[in-house]
Amino acid sequence: MRVPGLIYASNAMAREIAADKSTQQVVNVAHLPGIIGHSIAMPDIHWGYGFPIGGVAAFDPDDGVLSPGGVGYDINCGVRLLSSGIERRELHGRVAALATALHRAIPSGVGSQSHRKLNEGELRRVLTRGARWAVAAGYGAGEDLELAEEGGCIDGADPAELSERAIERGKPQLGSLGSGNHFCELGYVAEIYDQEAADAFGLALDRVTVLLHSGSRGLGYQVCDDSLRSMLRAADRYGIALPDRQLAAAPLHSDEARRYFAAMACAINFAFANRQMMTHFVREAVDEFFAESCDLSLVYDVCHNIAKWETHQVDGAPRRVCVHRKGATRAFGPGHPDVPERYRAIGQPVLVPGDMGRYSYVLCGTERAMQETFGSSCHGAGRRMSRAQAKKSARGRPIFQELAERGIHVRSDSAGTVAEEIPEAYKDVADVIEVMHGAGIARKVAKLVPMAVVKG
Amino acid sequence: MQRGHRQLDHTADLALELWGESEIDVLLAGAEGVIDIMTDAADVEERGHRHVRIDAVDPQDRLVQWLNEIVVAAVSEGFLFGSADIELEGPTGLSATIRGEPDAGERVVAELKSATYHELALGEERGMWRARVVIDV
Repeated sequence: MRVPGLIYASNAMAREIAADKSTQQVVNVAHLPGIIGHSIAMPDIHWGYGFPIGGVAAFDPDDGVLSPGGVGYDINCGVRLLSSGIERRELHGRVAALATALHRAIPSGVGSQSHRKLNEGELRRVLTRGARWAVAAGYGAGEDLELAEEGGCIDGADPAELSERAIERGKPQLGSLGSGNHFCELGYVAEIYDQEAADAFGLALDRVTVLLHSGSRGLGYQVCDDSLRSMLRAADRYGIALPDRQLAAAPLHSDEARRYFAAMACAINFAFANRQMMTHFVREAVDEFFAESCDLSLVYDVCHNIAKWETHQVDGAPRRVCVHRKGATRAFGPGHPDVPERYRAIGQPVLVPGDMGRYSYVLCGTERAMQETFGSSCHGAGRRMSRAQAKKSARGRPIFQELAERGIHVRSDSAGTVAEEIPEAYKDVADVIEVMHGAGIARKVAKLVPMAVVKG
Repeated sequence: MQRGHRQLDHTADLALELWGESEIDVLLAGAEGVIDIMTDAADVEERGHRHVRIDAVDPQDRLVQWLNEIVVAAVSEGFLFGSADIELEGPTGLSATIRGEPDAGERVVAELKSATYHELALGEERGMWRARVVIDV
């Protein structure tokens, strides 16, 4: 190991984590050249491909590497949160109907495709302009761009670095949710822990919220798949010993790394545009439902599978490093220039979804995160049951009805997906965020409770 | 014909164990396993065909690329694998004619992201070929 590993966990989690192979993955990452500080993992750590899910690592620009395994297949899978002035009581007796309206409005499910099919030229513009393309095309307002990580668009994208297959996979899918653990969730603010931060974020008790979780769809998966092959060859060429093939990497200054970054940036921008378009569909559906403009405002949009250049304090001096976050969320603290001006005094919103039966959380970044984790925090709950186990547990149970009786209306084209995603298939996200809060990495701001969920 | 597949329990994703009398049998078992996961149980109607060429890094990579051809065809193009004639070209090349069901996207019930290199295993032991592959869901 070139650096130590650092895992954030409670005592109860530590036992479970030790039994899982994810600690070995933290160790493996620590072998990569040019890694700085620690090979870090958040309390939602679990077994991933190469990097553990919940893994964070930063690399020196001169002798460090770029690894697609440190980003993942679903490049820029992320979450965005919308707030509203709608009071929860205004939806009394109407949640089921609004759930149906949202399900109709957002393309979702296996192979889901957009309302708008792009030609190749349009797609290429999306890949370089990200959410800016979507806003210019009428899917949202300019203000939305201020409230997304990277302003909804990362520099350095080059569509020429994408394979034909990646382009073909992307063309029909922009503005679609996908399937699996992707979702659109209507909820409300159930608890506030930090009033000042909640006020700054526009969150008030009992006000309706919408969470969107999706990523770069087939285009992103293809970019990752294409890149792993080239990185495997590169690792050989540059003499990088890989404890795990899925950690295939190339030196940051290499042609292979430059090309992967350019392709990854395309997928990042696709995902930003994707979530921006779905935001528009949600706004339209809600406005139509209430027959008036409901002013669903974007709180923030975060990435949780990404690699990018950031400046951090290393050995007391600012240094530009390449931070990989795989199932981890940026959590910049107060005063950071990359935090939107309206939040800068408070810190960056950190959105942490749980499962569809319990709750999700809004946290905010801290100075401690900047010092210890390259400004990073957890991203979710993590599974505790395999899909097969979840389906077995759900067999014979009326899951949709069970959740409806708890006040949560689920809409999905696939009962099988819903069975795989039952709440008990996931760990309790409250345990995860308590570790982050207790460690001072991210401060609790609010708890969101679901009322309706659209599942892919 | 001795080839088969089964799903192994995996918390975050899916894992397949594959076996057969030859490396080609393992590739076929993998395709059958992936289609089993992705579609309903009814038989695939072999009304169409397509040709695939793979130039891999090594045999393990060839298995991953092969499975990803099956996944992408199903999820992105609605073409379901039924059977195939496969020729292996050294340790890294593959050409195949795949017979399957086109325009069957509505039969795909599970969207897989990709076969991965994670704990990938492929080899021959005592006359049987075996493989293990994890698939990102």
